[in-house]
Amino acid sequence: MLPGLLFLVGFAIYPTVYSLITSFYRWNLNNPLGKQWGGWHNYDILLKDPAFWHSVWVTVRYVALSVVIQLGLGLGLALLFFRRFPGDRILRAMLMLPMVVAPVVVGLLWRFMLNAQFGIVNYVVEQLGFTRIDFLGEPGWALPTLILIDVWQWTPFVFLIMLAALQGIPEDILEAARVDGAKPWRIFWDHILPLLRYPIAVAVALRLIDAFRVYDLIYMTTRGGPLDETETLSWQIYDAGFRSFDIGYAAAFSWLMLILVVVVTTVFLRLMLRKEDLS
Amino acid sequence: MGRKRARNALTLIACLALVMFVAACGGSSNDSPSTSTPAQANTSGGGKVELNAIFLPATWGTVVKDTLAPQYEKETGVKVNVQLIARDAIHEKMATLFAAKDSSFDIFNLDYNWIPEFAGAGHLADMGDVVPAADRQDFFPLSLKVATWNEKLYGIPQTVHPALLWYRRDLYQDPKIMAQYKQSTGDELKAPATMDEWRKQVEFFNGKTFNGKKVYGWVAQAQKGFANVHTWLNFLYTYGGKPFNADFTQSTLNTPQGQQATAMWAGMSKFMPPGANSVTYDLVTAAAQQGQVATALHWSWGAFAVDDPKSSKTVGDWAYTQVPSASAGQPSHPHLAEWVISVSNYSKHQAEAKKFAAWLETKKNDVVQASLGGGDPVRLSSYDSPTLMDEKVKGTDQLRFRRLPEVKKAMETAQPRPFFPLEERWEQVVSTPLQSISLGRSSVEEGLKQADQDVDSSLNR
Repeated sequence: MLPGLLFLVGFAIYPTVYSLITSFYRWNLNNPLGKQWGGWHNYDILLKDPAFWHSVWVTVRYVALSVVIQLGLGLGLALLFFRRFPGDRILRAMLMLPMVVAPVVVGLLWRFMLNAQFGIVNYVVEQLGFTRIDFLGEPGWALPTLILIDVWQWTPFVFLIMLAALQGIPEDILEAARVDGAKPWRIFWDHILPLLRYPIAVAVALRLIDAFRVYDLIYMTTRGGPLDETETLSWQIYDAGFRSFDIGYAAAFSWLMLILVVVVTTVFLRLMLRKEDLS
Repeated sequence: MGRKRARNALTLIACLALVMFVAACGGSSNDSPSTSTPAQANTSGGGKVELNAIFLPATWGTVVKDTLAPQYEKETGVKVNVQLIARDAIHEKMATLFAAKDSSFDIFNLDYNWIPEFAGAGHLADMGDVVPAADRQDFFPLSLKVATWNEKLYGIPQTVHPALLWYRRDLYQDPKIMAQYKQSTGDELKAPATMDEWRKQVEFFNGKTFNGKKVYGWVAQAQKGFANVHTWLNFLYTYGGKPFNADFTQSTLNTPQGQQATAMWAGMSKFMPPGANSVTYDLVTAAAQQGQVATALHWSWGAFAVDDPKSSKTVGDWAYTQVPSASAGQPSHPHLAEWVISVSNYSKHQAEAKKFAAWLETKKNDVVQASLGGGDPVRLSSYDSPTLMDEKVKGTDQLRFRRLPEVKKAMETAQPRPFFPLEERWEQVVSTPLQSISLGRSSVEEGLKQADQDVDSSLNR
């Protein structure tokens, strides 16, 4: 037990407590005066800053839309692949590919493909008779584009969980429903979906937590722009911590983000799961 | 069972206390010893000094890594391990290493605007002793000024690249196009001397097809972040605007000069290729290489890429001149870019590191670096070097370094970014309201007023 405890203390508890303490300091790495106790100063500034609330709104939209679309597509694809068909294994392997690519590479790849002058996507857009679109530079387009990139990369993850869950449903339940004359839609709604409740909860909770942290994709594509359209919480934290080196401010920012993630995930899990499951 | 639990709880508390204590000793003290271990003490097996350096993965960084560092080892026996790291990563790495007083790296390649930040915090070594006063006369005065903080030299300039106006010689000297321009505007088509002339020209070129290729008026960096700020600074300085008051305590963007400059910059953005809001350094270069634009506002150094036949369709076609001025007869004030070589104050081999930095910028090596494509020289004497001035682009009658006379001239009036420790933050803050103006989301006056407010509140954070 002791090695486990040491590991937990060294790599989880200590950094967490340290960051909490840091969030109460006015501390810029390049300030020769070093750390100065600031009390609630960082939190006070943050909570009064419209830019903070804007980044909360951007993050919530990003997370909600990308996770909902991923869940819908992942479940749909899983239902499609539930029954075997010729070539399904190759297709399934190909579907997995985006998930194994590093987010930085994904960002770079899409940045080039979406480029308004030289990108292949805009070439197709133009061939279809439309005018070229600055997907990553036009307000109104940038955030939806980032959501779609996230959907492209992470739908396979949800698909994988859903497919595994579907394959775990006892065949006799579905067979009995069929014998009773239930239509496919009723079978899905009354039998399959309730049995997928836990896998859905797991997949969505994992994706929620991960989507909240989005940073590398933004770094490689929009850098928070155009304007402040894609300035998520993680991006703002990076900006404060690693460009301005305002460590105390960035730590306070991180704690507010952590609270938001915990609240959203807890509310979601409470809605999805019964009381006895949670206990 | 109860005893066992109590013992475990005690062990946990003891561990926590120990970890907190150790971390508190190491993390907050300003006079803690270097975190470097003996194994990192930069000496090879034979006891010879070994230096670790971080450079930008631009051509001047690769030249140091691939050519000059190996040559230095041959000459002196001192091995220099060079890591090439992107700009943002260098900045992050320096701050975190310096905060820990880490001695793993001896030499850093710095964007000059970081000098106030790192020198002001005491992280950089004084380089004054390796650049004697007599030798300093040979450097561009501005290049040394931006490597100096509190009257001490903290970096040796490695390359300068002031913004220049690039224009397509093949279009500007085409008799048909010249006639069209004359007919359309009543003026002769020649390299623009003023902003108004330039605007007239980009408007003329924009969207027209020449020799079967659609051309846009101009291109420059415009993505949010440092990109749009770096372009806009050329306009601001040229129109006489100043970002701050004398002691950097108040933002002064919303002035008549600032408004005039910003209006010209924003008004011209509609003559850029589609996707202008996402344009970064690479995309400006690509547009120039592909012949997509008639003019460009770009760093002088980037010119090497358009003369590279492997990637460019416009080899020998580009000519260079000064950033246009606000009015005829007045000088323009291009925005300066420069990279310097600095030595960490925590280096265990400061003297050796300084020697290497100075060696990189001897008269001979300044020319060698430039001739190998490693950025524009920092020494005045290099601009008379036959090695640089006489070489031609292969397969053309164009001089390979034809931009250098313009670079030398631009260095007389160029202006640096606001030279104060919070410059990086300033760029981030001012970038958003500027983009709001260029996108037409706010008027010039509203945008600059917002920029002033945002900068002031950010600096007081």
